[in-house]
Amino acid sequence: MHAGDNIYRPIKTEVLDVITETPTIKTVRLKPKEKITFEAGQFIELTIPGVGEAPFTPSSRPSEKDEMEVTVMKVGKVTEKIHELKKGDVVGLRGPFGKGYPFDTFKGKEILIVGGGCGFAPIRSLMYEFFDRSGEFKKLFFRGGCKTPKELLYKDELKEWTRRKDLDLKLTVDKGYSGWKGNVGLVTTILDKIGMDCKSGIAVVCGPPIMMKFVTLKLLELGFREEHIYLSMEKNMSCGVGKCGHCRIGTYYVCKDGPVFTYASIKNFPNIWD
Amino acid sequence: MTYYISLNNLKGLLEVLKKDHSVYVPVKKGEQRFYKRYTDFTADIELGEVRPFEPLKAFFSRARERVADGFKSDIPDTKEKPFAVIGVKACDLKGFKVQDFVFKDHDFQDPFYIKAREENLIVSCDCTCAIDTCFCLSLGIKPYPEENFDINLSKVEDGFVVEVGSEKGRRLIDANPSFFKKPEDKLVTQKNEQRTRVIKEVEKNIKEYDIPHQDLYKSIIEKGYESDIWLETSKTCVECGACNTVCPTCHCFLLYDQKDDENMARLRIWDSCLIKDFAKVAGGANPRSKLWMRLRNRFEKKFDFFPKVADIYACTGCGRCISACPAKIDIREVLKRLVADARGR
Repeated sequence: MHAGDNIYRPIKTEVLDVITETPTIKTVRLKPKEKITFEAGQFIELTIPGVGEAPFTPSSRPSEKDEMEVTVMKVGKVTEKIHELKKGDVVGLRGPFGKGYPFDTFKGKEILIVGGGCGFAPIRSLMYEFFDRSGEFKKLFFRGGCKTPKELLYKDELKEWTRRKDLDLKLTVDKGYSGWKGNVGLVTTILDKIGMDCKSGIAVVCGPPIMMKFVTLKLLELGFREEHIYLSMEKNMSCGVGKCGHCRIGTYYVCKDGPVFTYASIKNFPNIWD
Repeated sequence: MTYYISLNNLKGLLEVLKKDHSVYVPVKKGEQRFYKRYTDFTADIELGEVRPFEPLKAFFSRARERVADGFKSDIPDTKEKPFAVIGVKACDLKGFKVQDFVFKDHDFQDPFYIKAREENLIVSCDCTCAIDTCFCLSLGIKPYPEENFDINLSKVEDGFVVEVGSEKGRRLIDANPSFFKKPEDKLVTQKNEQRTRVIKEVEKNIKEYDIPHQDLYKSIIEKGYESDIWLETSKTCVECGACNTVCPTCHCFLLYDQKDDENMARLRIWDSCLIKDFAKVAGGANPRSKLWMRLRNRFEKKFDFFPKVADIYACTGCGRCISACPAKIDIREVLKRLVADARGR
């Protein structure tokens, strides 16, 4: 964003495609008329004209500069309208907002990525960035969980990822059924014996607050350092620029100081998981 | 540089200002003071006394303002002329320190606020009395403007002693030299005596209500975070948000989109952190689901967040929230208890 710009104005954006991922989750491919590039971890505000805005972290490859994707669960007024979008529709985009992941500090390290449910969306974008920078990091470990196999996002990509040499991937579902060959149980049940050096490793966690809470506790127990645990916080981000006051945690606004925080930087604030 | 302007010449100056400003003046109705659009110098205009009911921020980020027209890149301009606000009091001017931090000086800039700050004119006035809710001195403010005004008027016999506070104020005087003259010494003495007298009135309030000074506010929120004061105080709260609306430092807003003819319009509307859905996310999670948590949040923002990020307590001692609250929630009582608890009394 440049000085003098109107921070509240959305940029006209064309819907290129809508992909149904699960009964409640869709991915929308977008082409903004003005260039918007983002770093993995940053988020955008998507406007449905005349209805409202909602914040999403893109799920697409950050190095892809002209188009982006957002993966959206139907939960409210705006996301319901997003689910009704069709190819060729016009929406608005503002952003990107917040700070991305500090990849430079990840260099040469083993990295554990833990995702839950719709948290797979921002993590997909992060994984693409890791793959684009493959070689900069020692090794990647992915541990993902969701409620049932039916609700698992990006199944085709996950299949491809299992073949990567630089990635150790394991999935779990809370409730399995016949045909599911993976683990059954909460994501914390597949965090033991990862095979990485937890004391020096980085952990990136994205998922519902309750999952992040228990994953963080587990990671601390495994020996991860508080300043090496990166959490993607979910609050009611609206303006995106630290002015409207809705997404405060302690002395931070999630929209401009986050949405990614180390556990060390927020652990002393009260009620961070609520 | 100090000047004198007679009441008659002030009327002349307001007429001049009217040409290229929307001029607003404080008027007295019953026991309350309100801003009114100036047309001519009516008998209800009261430039002295204390702050009007509405906070000054209303002229800088309006309660409901159009901030985007569809995808158009230009900034919507819905205001015909800049405001000239007359009779602004020192407590409201302190509000600028918070509003400026949020909208102008820190990270991203809000073009609407910045434009209003550049164009609007502030003619402030000394308080000539205190009402029982006034406690500005506790927040380190005097009952007369010391900064953040263009010109300041101190009411004296038949007119005002004038002080220049900015380049804009200087230009206003230079452009209208016939209205201003050198003040007689006795008028300057009158001004100083009046200031001393009003300070004493505010001091009396502070003593009577035993209101702690801001030097004692450090860590009161951290120490009182789990206190039962929040639940107790919130028992009568009706979540109306009046305290937020009248507060000169409250800045929270919501962006509201609406269909406007064929275009979409985005409005920026004052919001209230006391209202249940303020921090709720679309998925349903609400970090402050209980009313007492939201009441605590209001105090946390003013007495913990702003001192930590901007080195300022976001309260001006104007007492508006005390007068506006239908539940009689009194910020002085909350501060008094938090300070006493923190000091282990």
